[in-house]
Amino acid sequence: MTIYSQAENAHDSSTFGKSLSLRVDGGFNALSVSPSGRDVVLASKQGLYVVDLDDPFSAPRWLHHLTSWEVADVQWSPHASKSSWVVSTSNQKALVWNLSRSSSNAIEHVLHGHFRAITDINFHPQHPEILATCSIDAYVHSWDMRSPRRAYYSASVWSAGASQVKWNFKNPNVMASAHANDIFIWDLRKGCTPLHVVKGHSNNVNSIDFNRASETEIMSCANDGTVKFWDYSKSLQEPQRTVVTDFPVAKGRYLPFGKGFCVMPFVGGNNSVYLSSNVTESEPGAVSKLQPIYVFKGHTDRVSDFLWRVKYSGGSTVDDRDFQLVTWSKDNDLKLWPVNESTYEKVDFQRHRSLEHPFTEYDYSTFRQEPLRSQNLSSHAHFPKERFVTGSGLKEFHDKNRINHLAWVSGVRMHHAESPRSLFDLDKLRNLGEEVTVIGHKFPKVVFERISVSTGSLTLTLSGPWSEQNPDDLVFLRIDCVFPPNYPFKSPPRFKIEENRELDSKKIEEITDQLQEISRRHTDLGKFCLEPCLRFLLGEKINLDVLQEEEQLLNLDVVDSLGINDLSSLESSDMRSGAISVTSRTSDEDEQDLDNKSSNDGYVSRSAHALDLDSTPIPKGCGATWTSSGKLVCFFTTESKPEKKQQGTQRLGPRGSVGIHTENLPEQLYDENKPHVPKRPKRYVETLSASSAHNSETGISGNDSDSDASFDSFGDDDWNDIMRTDITLRTKMPVFSNFGKSLASVASDDGKSNVSVAKSKNAVFIQDFSHLIADKRQLAAEYIFTGDSLEAVCKHNANVAGNYGLENIAHCWKMVGNLLIDRDERHNANFGWHQNGEGDKQFIKDVMEFLERSKNVQMLAMFSCILMDPPSTKRDSVGARSSEANIITFEYEDQSHFSQSRQGSVAPSIRSEDYFSPRQHVVKNRKPRLSNTLTPSEVIAQHSLLPDIRIEIMNSSELGFLGGRSPSLLDPSDEPKYRSYRYQYSELLFYWGLLINRAELLQFNSKQENTTPDLWHHSLGYGLDLRAEKSYAGVSYKALNNKISFLTTRICNYCELQVLGRATVCGNCQHVMHAQCAKSWWEQSIECPSGCGCQCIDMFDVT
Amino acid sequence: MATISNAHSELIHDAVLDYYGKRLATCSSDKTIKIFEVENDTHKLVETLHGHEGPVWQVDWAHPKFGVILASCSYDGKVLIWKEENGRWVQTAVHAVHSASVNSVKWAPHEYGPFLLAASSDGKVSVVEFKENGTTAPVVLDAHAIGVNTASWASAALQDGSSSLQERRFVTGGADNLVKVWKYSPEANTYLVQDTLEGHTDWVRDVAWSPSMLLRSYLASVSQDRTCIIWTQENNQGPWKKTLLKDDKFPDVLWRASWSLSGNILAISGGDNKVTLWKENLEGKWESAGEVEQ
Repeated sequence: MTIYSQAENAHDSSTFGKSLSLRVDGGFNALSVSPSGRDVVLASKQGLYVVDLDDPFSAPRWLHHLTSWEVADVQWSPHASKSSWVVSTSNQKALVWNLSRSSSNAIEHVLHGHFRAITDINFHPQHPEILATCSIDAYVHSWDMRSPRRAYYSASVWSAGASQVKWNFKNPNVMASAHANDIFIWDLRKGCTPLHVVKGHSNNVNSIDFNRASETEIMSCANDGTVKFWDYSKSLQEPQRTVVTDFPVAKGRYLPFGKGFCVMPFVGGNNSVYLSSNVTESEPGAVSKLQPIYVFKGHTDRVSDFLWRVKYSGGSTVDDRDFQLVTWSKDNDLKLWPVNESTYEKVDFQRHRSLEHPFTEYDYSTFRQEPLRSQNLSSHAHFPKERFVTGSGLKEFHDKNRINHLAWVSGVRMHHAESPRSLFDLDKLRNLGEEVTVIGHKFPKVVFERISVSTGSLTLTLSGPWSEQNPDDLVFLRIDCVFPPNYPFKSPPRFKIEENRELDSKKIEEITDQLQEISRRHTDLGKFCLEPCLRFLLGEKINLDVLQEEEQLLNLDVVDSLGINDLSSLESSDMRSGAISVTSRTSDEDEQDLDNKSSNDGYVSRSAHALDLDSTPIPKGCGATWTSSGKLVCFFTTESKPEKKQQGTQRLGPRGSVGIHTENLPEQLYDENKPHVPKRPKRYVETLSASSAHNSETGISGNDSDSDASFDSFGDDDWNDIMRTDITLRTKMPVFSNFGKSLASVASDDGKSNVSVAKSKNAVFIQDFSHLIADKRQLAAEYIFTGDSLEAVCKHNANVAGNYGLENIAHCWKMVGNLLIDRDERHNANFGWHQNGEGDKQFIKDVMEFLERSKNVQMLAMFSCILMDPPSTKRDSVGARSSEANIITFEYEDQSHFSQSRQGSVAPSIRSEDYFSPRQHVVKNRKPRLSNTLTPSEVIAQHSLLPDIRIEIMNSSELGFLGGRSPSLLDPSDEPKYRSYRYQYSELLFYWGLLINRAELLQFNSKQENTTPDLWHHSLGYGLDLRAEKSYAGVSYKALNNKISFLTTRICNYCELQVLGRATVCGNCQHVMHAQCAKSWWEQSIECPSGCGCQCIDMFDVT
Repeated sequence: MATISNAHSELIHDAVLDYYGKRLATCSSDKTIKIFEVENDTHKLVETLHGHEGPVWQVDWAHPKFGVILASCSYDGKVLIWKEENGRWVQTAVHAVHSASVNSVKWAPHEYGPFLLAASSDGKVSVVEFKENGTTAPVVLDAHAIGVNTASWASAALQDGSSSLQERRFVTGGADNLVKVWKYSPEANTYLVQDTLEGHTDWVRDVAWSPSMLLRSYLASVSQDRTCIIWTQENNQGPWKKTLLKDDKFPDVLWRASWSLSGNILAISGGDNKVTLWKENLEGKWESAGEVEQ
């Protein structure tokens, strides 16, 4: 245990050379380190946090600034003269903070020149007052803080927003900015024409960095996964060196020491920061793979930024710099990583080389503390120093505007890189910070008013039963504790209980004495004593005599942590085997640290939940899931040994006598009538404890019978055997505390051996049950929707079903076919067929109901398509047709296209002999026109975007007559239902990869709706005839703008995702596709993917 | 029949084929997820995913229009999202809003977009939307006091474009022996309980919403009380009717229910290590359609 004294210079820093992990919740996005390396600043939408890295346990300073924009960048001024300046972005503005001012008034300047979000800020390396900003508005501005009203230099690339801007280290007039794939070099003296443009990346450049030593060398990192090193005095096209990585590179910088660079991935790359060497000279233009010499691995989410924290003795004439990497990640952990000697050597960093000029000396102080207020009296009056603790006072303590100090402390994890931590070290709580954390979670009623881990002082309040009048009354206590630096080793803390109206000084003295006694006894054994002291204060009896014997069990956390540690060690070794080979000892430790932390977190939340309430049900060992193709995936446990069950009942005996848990009520519910049914635990934790009990029975001497009685015992050893295999995970579970030490120490060994025992326990079967499913892919592939006549369609489909031996289905088709013929004949013979029509309707209704009951979606959808068209339209006299043809006239040259598309969509022509139809010759002479079924209003709706269309409805009386003559066989009120069937079937067709059939099917639905269903890229790609690319090359692409407001245009009809950017819009049907989607779709088909029937390609002048 | 035995060193808790039936994902108490490529009767292990810190209870494939994406849930309280890119599997997201074991994870019907439903023993269910810009928007609901064992989406019946999103429904089953049906409320931008179905006398272990929307909605719930109840609702509204799948009790506790693609066949499995298939006859009675034993 170390107490972190306030370091006076960097060499005394308590956190340097150690790894440290700090959890900071709150969506922080950007990070910067102060020039002295003592503080870091984190920026979020809520403002800035200033964290003192030398005293990580202290809550950070919070400078409020609420915005709704993510902070893109924050930069701490690197200059000693302006070491209190921090610049952060706030959308299109940059805020210059002066941390030496009070937090409420810390913004010194607002730089407002960009008109879109700022992406990067860079301080001038020589001039403290100058900084540059760049933005996605494509401008780069340079600002002088002496006149911050407007930028003194501006340049723009016009074409693309800037991602980064950097000043040259050598030439104070030169800076560079990255725009899209290119890097622009600017010279302030040459106005706003770029000095050079470096082109070479094939994707967005995310980061650039000038070489510190060489004026014209710059490195760039891009989304194309490459890091390129340029010398723009030599070549603007050919990089001097290219390093290829397997991830898009978010940031890459030269090392501030030696010859090397660090890169970090945008996504992937194990969320690590890679340090690589540049020592070996390569010939210009060389391309190599990234060969990291060190990998900082441990974050669980992508790294947002990495920075170097440096320490050296000011004024020294030798280079004694020491570095520590600071990373911030989306996983909300701020991590500090030590750099070891071998890394320095590998990048050729000659330490202790003599310097010509000593490094600048920075004031090693922190800005975490609020600057002292001016000493005048009035401010004192405004801010009384002592806070009177009342109900409202406590409330204020929990004010959400303040940082929860306890939560903050619990996020700090630290360990000394040089001391390899023994996993079974009893000293689990490594410092006061962790002790406070654990206790804070354990005793939610205890309020920590002040936590200062660095000075070892705490102030806490609680209510205990110390009233002299009435022992049931709780008395409010406020206690100051001061912990000596080498606590807990033989140095007890001092307690001071504040004077209280309800307690007289004698009583206080008495309590204090007892507290001192408890703490002394504990610390004599080198134990942390805060918990027993608090238990005492809360009214519990503390038996100090058992301290010696029960030292292991006194704090159950210790046992828990054993399990946790044990697990983390197992896990990290697993991870190591899978991870890249470049892991060093320290990074392994960090990994463990991380594991440890996460499992600790899990523990905290779970223990808060109380184990008894862990209601996770027992795992499923057997199950079955259906697949789209009618296969059933089943999984089983493959062990069933009857003789084992025998054993089991025998074993039940002794355990049963120990005592059966009475709490397990629900089991009675299903056990009442079948006693032979194996009793089974219901909760997962029970199976865990049961299997442990089993384990303890066989593995260890059974002196833990007490604990055994405390959990459920149940009968089926078969089950035990299954569950026993879970032992590896059991080691981490908090259940463990139930068993005490003896089990805990055994578990890890046993766990491994049991895993090997537990082979051959499970099996997965995939069995085909498609014969049970009514919907068949084979049928779908051959069924047709449209043909010369409905009867022909029915006949064809009946044959298809017959060919597959599906007599029922074939019969169904035939019946409907016959009905249609019959209907035709009646229609011809006699005009008054209405009564009979009702009979037909009833018949169809019955058919549909039968199919609904047998859940045959395929047939339902087929019928709802085929019977949807009023049959009469197909066999009107020629005269009626000609009048119909006059119904819609377009004053638009595309009219021919339009009708053509309609006709084309009915394409599949059946030339089979059609004996159903008595008037085959009539049918053959006509092309069915689907457009006939469109009611005029729908036509208007569909084509409302076409210019210059005039729609006239003529012969409306005849239209009405026609409409009356052709009632649908399907009940129109059920139309939504039928649409739903068609939609479901279209999904089935999609599963089966029958895309053309699906498009045909969806035509029926698109007749009623303007919003068309989706169709997206099908990766399996069925053998469809490919059309030459040029056939759609002439399709016009256009960028969509927001003015087009109706829905169809915004969703790609191919992938169903929103369309932004390049898209094709069919001039006829107005359906939209991404340019890419259109390309792949039109290789497969000529029709619109929405199924509207439009032949989009023909709508364009294709050459 | 393809058989994969002893793929995992410990109990398997779920096995799911992807959309095309080509890839099988299994998960186990050994904390791993394995991906197999299945071709007729042959299979090949292509990947083992490590990342969970506890037994992995369930996996679910997202619809392929979102990419090759798998969600998994575990005793460690986390839902992990895995993605295959260029033949490599990476963990792309963590959904960690639950404080206890996450027992079930399900992707919504693809029409709704990338929504994920997770049920946890902390008594809550969460619905997460993975938005295009990479952010997530979780809605966490208190569902069943003692713990939620399962949750399942209703299939997306055809509705008109935007309004279908408003019709989102799902069902949860919990340790309070109840089954609850939830519906999205656009006004409140959350999900509200539409119906609470009482019928089981012990923990509900699985609920499954039939993927077909024929005459009525079908829900199957299986429970620790060794019964399976089929709940039906006419026209997506009105009261739910309760039918026991089988009048007498099953020989052992039931764990799992799964509907075939158009809701023809229901597969039930449980502690007796058997899978039974069920089918509704024309009279509306449920009858056995087969049995699978290992």
